[in-house]
Amino acid sequence: MSETVIELKHLKKYYGTSRGIEDVSLKINKGEIYGFIGPNGAGKSTTIRTIMGLINKTSGEIFINGEMLKFDDINVKRIIGYLPSEINLYDDMTVAELLDYHESFYHKDLSKRKKELVKLLKIDLNKKIEDLSLGNLKKVGIVLALMHEPKILILDEPTSGLDPIMQNVFHDLLLKEKEKGTTILYSSHILNEVSNICDRVGLIKDGKIIKEDKMDNIKKDNYTYLRISSKEIEKIKKEIKLKIYKETDNEVIFINNLKSNELITRLSKYNIDNLLIEEVPLEDLFINYYK
Amino acid sequence: MLKRELKVNLKFFIIWLLILVIMFLVVYLIYPYVITDEGMKDIDELLKVFPAEVLKAFNMDLESISTAFGWVKTEGFVFVLLAIGFYSSTLGGTILLKEEDDKTIEYLNSLPITRSKIVTNKVIVGIIYILLLILLFGLFNYIALTISEDFSVKEFVLLSITPIFIALPLFGINLFISTFLHKTKKTAGICLGMVFIFYLLNMLSELSTKVEFLKYFSIYTLADVRNVISTTSIDINMIIISLVITFVFIILTYIRYNKKELV
Repeated sequence: MSETVIELKHLKKYYGTSRGIEDVSLKINKGEIYGFIGPNGAGKSTTIRTIMGLINKTSGEIFINGEMLKFDDINVKRIIGYLPSEINLYDDMTVAELLDYHESFYHKDLSKRKKELVKLLKIDLNKKIEDLSLGNLKKVGIVLALMHEPKILILDEPTSGLDPIMQNVFHDLLLKEKEKGTTILYSSHILNEVSNICDRVGLIKDGKIIKEDKMDNIKKDNYTYLRISSKEIEKIKKEIKLKIYKETDNEVIFINNLKSNELITRLSKYNIDNLLIEEVPLEDLFINYYK
Repeated sequence: MLKRELKVNLKFFIIWLLILVIMFLVVYLIYPYVITDEGMKDIDELLKVFPAEVLKAFNMDLESISTAFGWVKTEGFVFVLLAIGFYSSTLGGTILLKEEDDKTIEYLNSLPITRSKIVTNKVIVGIIYILLLILLFGLFNYIALTISEDFSVKEFVLLSITPIFIALPLFGINLFISTFLHKTKKTAGICLGMVFIFYLLNMLSELSTKVEFLKYFSIYTLADVRNVISTTSIDINMIIISLVITFVFIILTYIRYNKKELV
């Protein structure tokens, strides 16, 4: 049985009367990359900030390695690497000074890992934090999150600001962390990167987890788009009993959840000019949940 | 973290030290030219215009300003108490809150350090700089006065340490108030306003026995300069009250900060 590293039970956070998160329950296993996805304002950052102890939960429970998370527990902080969506660091420091400052909190020699990460992400150590571009700031944030070799990584929109090459480097880095057994909570609204890297995803909407599944299952049990042009299109629309996704003058796109044989049987009755079956992009797959 | 905090707050400290030193340096440099027999006559004439209560508010009923030390004890110390009050209030109001205002708290909080330790570091640095400001400014005054005239060293030392008894409580109170805020922009007005109000209440309380009760509402009562000048001693009660107020507000800061929503 896989070992649960992060577990949230009915986590709720209200800011006065306004909702932050309503009911978030999830389990993330050791060595798993869990995609935490949802539209803006769904509650992703609130969930993460509650785990990180920046804000106080209204109710619910957080467990780390099977133990209920105590307030301000530095033993837990020691094993977590955190990359916030918006990185704000000490502007007056150089990158080298900041990394040394960071290292001073861990009371162990992190220089080897620090050097590896700096080299891999091509970071200029002599630059001042205030002079860094958004992308370079993000890279420094990645080094800070990873240099103490945490057992848990909490990443909030980690690739925003990174160029595509660096995004790939970063994803490779995460896969290596996963191989080492690091547990990763990966919050994002970019579905393609989630589908490429995550083992499971949880979809949050209006402060609640509304779907959670393995990435493979989500890809497997999806439907297809059925693009049809026909002179009998009105008749097909009435009789085929499939939801319409889009409609233009020349064609109609149906959302198809029928098995191939059933689909062929149903369509065989009509005179069809053009037929195209397309895989639904991941964005569209989730858009139904977002709505 | 302590080393970084000292570095971050150094600039603010130097600015306030320079304000005090430059102000006093100017006075020390021009004093020998102003305080001539003829000059003093003019000043005495001028002072006669002021009501006794006003002179009392500036301690000028106790001390003549015919010497530099006399000026330090009277008008000079009004400025010292206000300046050190502003510095301590502003330091208390911003030292902790700046992390939130700059949004660096999200990073700091992710490090293996407790919120209490964050407060401890800030409090230590705040107190170090307040004491250092008073000490260095005192040293400067001591050197300047030694060059120019004879004066009572005991009275000077006691007088120089009185700002501590307003500075520490003002630091503690504003540190505590800052735990209710998220932006340093709002603290500036509170800090300056508080110093002015406390100072004004203290000044008013000395104008008439009818409003003497106002002194119980002012931190400035704790810097009992009149007592130092007239008895060359510091009232131990003032020291105790000052330390108790500081301690209580720092403890309240710990309690409140441990519950605070940081973003």
